[in-house]
Amino acid sequence: MAEVLAEGYNVFDTAKSPSGTIKYLSAPADVINLIKSGKLQEHILLVRGGTTTFLAPALSMGAIGVITMSGAPESHLGILSREFQTPCVMTAYLTDSDSRYVVGQTGDEHFEEIAKALDGRKVRLDCTDHEVGRVVADD
Amino acid sequence: MTTTEGKRATYKQRYEEGDDGLRFQDLTYVGNFHGMEPVTDGIKGDKMMKARAKSGVLEKVSKEDVLRDEFTIPELNDLNNYLAWNIWDVLVMRATEGVSGMIPRQEYEILAFMHEFYRWPEILRMTTKEAGGAQAIMDIGASARRGIGTKVNAVHDWCIGAVGFGMGRCGLLALEVIGPDDYIGESNEILKFMQRILWGKRQDGYILNSQDRYRCRIHEPDFLSQITAQIEPLEAGSPKHAAFTQFKVAAELLSFLDHYDCRLGLGDTGPYELPDGQLLILRDLFVNEEVFHWSDVCDDENLPHCYTLALTIDPEKMGLNEIRVNDISTTFTRPKNYIEAITGGAVFAREKWNTPMGEVYPIKVDDLGDHLGRVQNATLKLYSKTARMNRRDLIWNGQYVYYVDMILPHMRLAGTYEKACRDYDLWEIDQRVANYYYDITKRGFAQETVPSKIFSGAGYLPFSEDADRRNSKGRWL
Repeated sequence: MAEVLAEGYNVFDTAKSPSGTIKYLSAPADVINLIKSGKLQEHILLVRGGTTTFLAPALSMGAIGVITMSGAPESHLGILSREFQTPCVMTAYLTDSDSRYVVGQTGDEHFEEIAKALDGRKVRLDCTDHEVGRVVADD
Repeated sequence: MTTTEGKRATYKQRYEEGDDGLRFQDLTYVGNFHGMEPVTDGIKGDKMMKARAKSGVLEKVSKEDVLRDEFTIPELNDLNNYLAWNIWDVLVMRATEGVSGMIPRQEYEILAFMHEFYRWPEILRMTTKEAGGAQAIMDIGASARRGIGTKVNAVHDWCIGAVGFGMGRCGLLALEVIGPDDYIGESNEILKFMQRILWGKRQDGYILNSQDRYRCRIHEPDFLSQITAQIEPLEAGSPKHAAFTQFKVAAELLSFLDHYDCRLGLGDTGPYELPDGQLLILRDLFVNEEVFHWSDVCDDENLPHCYTLALTIDPEKMGLNEIRVNDISTTFTRPKNYIEAITGGAVFAREKWNTPMGEVYPIKVDDLGDHLGRVQNATLKLYSKTARMNRRDLIWNGQYVYYVDMILPHMRLAGTYEKACRDYDLWEIDQRVANYYYDITKRGFAQETVPSKIFSGAGYLPFSEDADRRNSKGRWL
């Protein structure tokens, strides 16, 4: 049984199970640089928010999978990832940590912990469950 | 299909009188009903809210009711409570989305809410007068029944009352700059305008999709038949299916981006059941709004004001259990993934907001490649442009998207947009709101209060039962 590193809301259930190295994107420049690198489709994208604009060009250019640290399927990024059929796990939390995202009450340390733990890991997204999306180690 | 193989569609049960619908979320709503059973989302929640109303305003109302000059206090309170629940119903989960990383949306939203509550009443009053009275406003709503590519749609019409009145008043109450019985006359002005537009559009006595089990079936049958005649069959997995869905999402993305990550750029109507059992959704995607200066990149790519997509969904193929076209014009289904159940599609383009319907033209699915490239180019250019903007510009630009665009379509059709710009300084920022810019980042107001008060439905205080309907704000103390 592969190790489940993180779980969150599954935006839509799909048999697609993209695999790639997690790339944490913290600023628009990161998004633009990734696209320019030509390696967009080698990565599962990790972002903090659940809005669409930040990831707009990445979605448009064919991102294979997305993990967010906040938001829900009803958030704009949730809606768009469903429309793009890009597997997406939202408000992901680390399975080996007690830290959880609470609207308006979560400090930077929560997001930094997740980014530090996941950035650079080779993973696969499991989005077959109706409600729960899983980030599975694929090292 | 993936995990729904073999399941039968049950969505029609949702339209049976005794059915309470499915629950799309575990959370419940309390609002002003402390000590009572919490209210659920969906059809059951609508029933509970109607049952708690003290007036008949949430039931089907007559044309005479709508033409009446103002609401009573019980009617205002019922609308306030219902809109608060409706806002919670559609936005409580969205509100968990956190920071954008690009556009400070919570900040621009709260400024726009408050600006609208202060500034819209006199503009809407002027628009009603210039248009020729209440009936003319209802006629503007009715115009959507024979149109596509029009922003007189669910989300804009809902925003008049839910955002301009509901969220605006709620935000100002939370900021403690108004009291519950201030601006009652202005509240009436906003809500009457909303009711007239929505009633004129729906023509069934209701004003909101949630009152009708989340249906927005507004188009006339003969108009719809012209649309469906253009639909091309799309087989899942085929290049044509891929071309259609790829264009659809690219245009959806640009619609969000051109409207600063908000839903004013998208508008769904439906579901319409077709004779063959398929469900039709019409989706307007406004990819080039000319009043926004940043839309110059969309002009550069010769993009039309709006693409309209007609898409048919096979409910049996996905084992559809419930479909909601909610009041912010967004379609949600259970199961969640309807994309693979799309069986047909058509695309139309409306060049300008006032292009006559007779000049709206279809685009064959095989010809979408050129449009897709231009939409993607505009998206990249707009992203690059937006990424270079400073925080203040982003916030005020976003504020304008809400404050102007939410009533822009109604002013355009009433012929009052230019007058609002010239005589009412529409594009100026009210001094009060300009000052709130500095308040909203203190004590986490935008990041915490907005979700906890506005999207949770907790801060929509009622008007006093004996309050005077003529109340404005008598004192600043």
